[in-house]
Amino acid sequence: MQDTLQTLVGGLSLGAVYALVAMGFSLVYRTMGLVNFAHADIAMIGAYTASTFYLTSELPFAVAMVVAIVITGAIGLVIERVLRPLENKDFDLMLIGTIGFGIVLQALAVIIWGTTGRAVPSPLHSAPLDVLGIRVRTYDLLVMAVAALAVVGLAFFLSRTKRGAAMQAVAMDHEAATAVGIDVGRSNALAFAIGAGLAALAGGLVGPMLYVDASLGGALGIKGFAAAMLGGFGSIHGAVVGGIAIGVLDSYAAGHFQGYSVLVTFLVFTAAIMIRPTGIFGERTVSRA
Amino acid sequence: MKSRLAATGVLVLAAWALPYGLGSYTVHVVNIALIYALLALGMGLAMGVSGQINLAQVAFFGVGAYAVAILTTHYGHGFWLSALLAVLATVVTGLFVGVPALRMQSHYLGIVTLGLALGFINWITNAHLTGGADGISGIPVPTLPGVDLSSEYLYYYLEVVVFALALLFGLFVVHTSLGRRLRAMRDDALAAGAMGAEIPFLRMTAFLLASLYGGLAGVLYSGLIRYVAPETFSIGNMFILLAMVIIGGRRSLVGCVVGAVGLTMVREWLSDFSTYAQLGYGVVVVAMVVFAPTGLAGVPARLRTLYARRRAQQPSRAELRPFTPYTVEERSGPDGVLLSVEGVTQQFRGLRALDEVTLAVHRGEIRGVVGPNGSGKTTLFNVISGFYRATAGTVRFADADTTAARPYTLSLTGLARTFQNLRLFGQLTVRENILVALDRTRAHTIWQYALWQPGVLARERRLRARADDILERYGLVDFAEADPSSLPYGIQRRIEIARAMAARPRLLLLDEPAAGLNGEEVQQLIRIVRSIRDSGTTVILIEHNMGLVMSLCEKVTVLSSGKVIAEGTPQEVVSTPEVIEAYLGDSDPAELGLDTPRSAARPEHAQEATP
Repeated sequence: MQDTLQTLVGGLSLGAVYALVAMGFSLVYRTMGLVNFAHADIAMIGAYTASTFYLTSELPFAVAMVVAIVITGAIGLVIERVLRPLENKDFDLMLIGTIGFGIVLQALAVIIWGTTGRAVPSPLHSAPLDVLGIRVRTYDLLVMAVAALAVVGLAFFLSRTKRGAAMQAVAMDHEAATAVGIDVGRSNALAFAIGAGLAALAGGLVGPMLYVDASLGGALGIKGFAAAMLGGFGSIHGAVVGGIAIGVLDSYAAGHFQGYSVLVTFLVFTAAIMIRPTGIFGERTVSRA
Repeated sequence: MKSRLAATGVLVLAAWALPYGLGSYTVHVVNIALIYALLALGMGLAMGVSGQINLAQVAFFGVGAYAVAILTTHYGHGFWLSALLAVLATVVTGLFVGVPALRMQSHYLGIVTLGLALGFINWITNAHLTGGADGISGIPVPTLPGVDLSSEYLYYYLEVVVFALALLFGLFVVHTSLGRRLRAMRDDALAAGAMGAEIPFLRMTAFLLASLYGGLAGVLYSGLIRYVAPETFSIGNMFILLAMVIIGGRRSLVGCVVGAVGLTMVREWLSDFSTYAQLGYGVVVVAMVVFAPTGLAGVPARLRTLYARRRAQQPSRAELRPFTPYTVEERSGPDGVLLSVEGVTQQFRGLRALDEVTLAVHRGEIRGVVGPNGSGKTTLFNVISGFYRATAGTVRFADADTTAARPYTLSLTGLARTFQNLRLFGQLTVRENILVALDRTRAHTIWQYALWQPGVLARERRLRARADDILERYGLVDFAEADPSSLPYGIQRRIEIARAMAARPRLLLLDEPAAGLNGEEVQQLIRIVRSIRDSGTTVILIEHNMGLVMSLCEKVTVLSSGKVIAEGTPQEVVSTPEVIEAYLGDSDPAELGLDTPRSAARPEHAQEATP
């Protein structure tokens, strides 16, 4: 029981990070129907820039995060601009295009930061809390709190602001949105920038939890994608539920199957998604005649 | 033909002579390039030809290579026996990875296959059996009597032979029945299903082909390097493989080979600057998808169209010829009910698109289905043709319960349809569009591809002759090699009907066949539909053009809000008060340009007064 709860707590904090990755991913997907395979590598760049500003420039952790979010947001804008000719046209080509960007970002990371990774110390130095015999690291609590804030913030933006509402409209029908005077290009660019910012947030937060190197994106990304899919593509609350589910699954698999955790995680994930391809909250699927 | 033979001769000669001019290291690189070319072929067959996003190709490669390594070093089997078992193991893995494709497509499939590939990498780096991160060394040299395969020069010949056979087989598949169906599925899986292509089977075939090629590449790799380790099968290499296929041109097998060989060479040449090289591939992939989505293989065709446009030569000789009517078939057998829909309800969440619809269509009938927009006409067609499974009620076609039948089963039992918004296979020529529907062979005849290729070729010849007949009958001869999306709308509509009729259906469903046609084209359509009925095919059509419905249909069913509100001859139907209210609104039918319904317009006594 004790062990189970301990694994659960570990899974929740990692799950919060996956949820952030999945959220950015879902936001871009629902707005422009683009599956951004470079998303994970944007998160990796975010992790590197945050850690660089935190460790090398010795900025406070929060400030370093903001800088990282701004930089990756700019990268997001570039990607969106380059791939714009393909928007709403060829789905598979866009997908491959983002994989191309992923390759570029990984190479850039190696060129800038080298092949050896870095360990980022936790910005919080207080001792782990002891709740009912379960050790809870304060940093894990911070990660969960930040993720929760991001979820609330994003939900507020989408439902309560004019730009957010415009983004929802584009997601539903980009042609109708154009007809009522929404600048679809600008809305997509904004969605992409926010998505990239969320990726950077995830990357920056995961820095002190995992080892930061150029392959971080691979590990973080595929689980983030899996989370988005499990929750239901394009659904924001689905991304949160999916992220936590994958995080917990991952942490149980690591506890019980040690080295084979990735294999087990993906086999379970594949089985789950076979049973329900639309995910938990997914709606829009089946193509019509 | 002669020039093609000569070109093949030159290629064979060049392949034979190549090692003589190369140093031992270059031969090694060529050997690696050939292995990647095999992998790229498999990837091209799955992704480019069949449209199945497969990001597990590198895992197939790994299964082949590791299986050989384990079977030879752990179990002491000979190389060739191990190779055979390894290819089998890879194909089994491929079929397993392909199972999710039955439930999901596109990016979903990409993520799942990538996840499974990661799982495989995770297993080989941790398992004791696979030697963990150190891998397995000491794989024995494959033996061939009289040939020392430890020499890379001689190994090259082994590879070249395997590669050439694999390429030929791939081209053979792509250009015959199976490949045509795969390509049709890629362009439009729904329409392909409606034309009788057994979609689930084809998806598995795509993964079978990809894994077969992956397994072969793995076997050759283990025989060449004689050492396997996890880093060869990394996700990074998966993406490089993807870059090869995209840069070369995913839809052309030759393009995939060019991409693979080219990129392996460049990679080797830039091995001292591997990170910059990686940056380069990434940039090239992005540039390719934006500027040249067809890859290098598509460049000649693009240049040709550019040149043709520059010269402004208009091939104006192409024209739509008149339709040659079918010979009238003396109706044999009873005029029984061919299709009966009984109490069918279709519920989409809150929306009840069809509400207990019941109708029966007799053999040899032309039935019209009319109703305002959103009244459930197309939904009815989708239920009949197996795209939707009715929430309640039964559909019986040709004396069998087909409520739960899949579209391809229905197509094979004699049901064909067209689509409201044209679903031609965009990347296939008009002739190939017809051929897909003509091909009535069941998917299980695929064994012929492995064991009796001449059978495939003979069937292909028969099909082509029949395709020519259909193109001739529908006046489409001039457009046989055209890309359908480049043709005017009216011609595309005609092609859709020709394609549906190529399947020789007993029942033809036409969904708004006159939409967007001009007056003359509508008259042609009326002649075509009459002739189709006279040839023995029953027709149901959805149409908004009331003139056409009035002159063509013997019986009309009117739907409104998912309910049948009237049924009868066109004259009876337009005089039904419910129809006038629901379908025509309360305006006078005469204003809408309809035949004035007798009973509604003329009072009884007036009719008596006129002689």
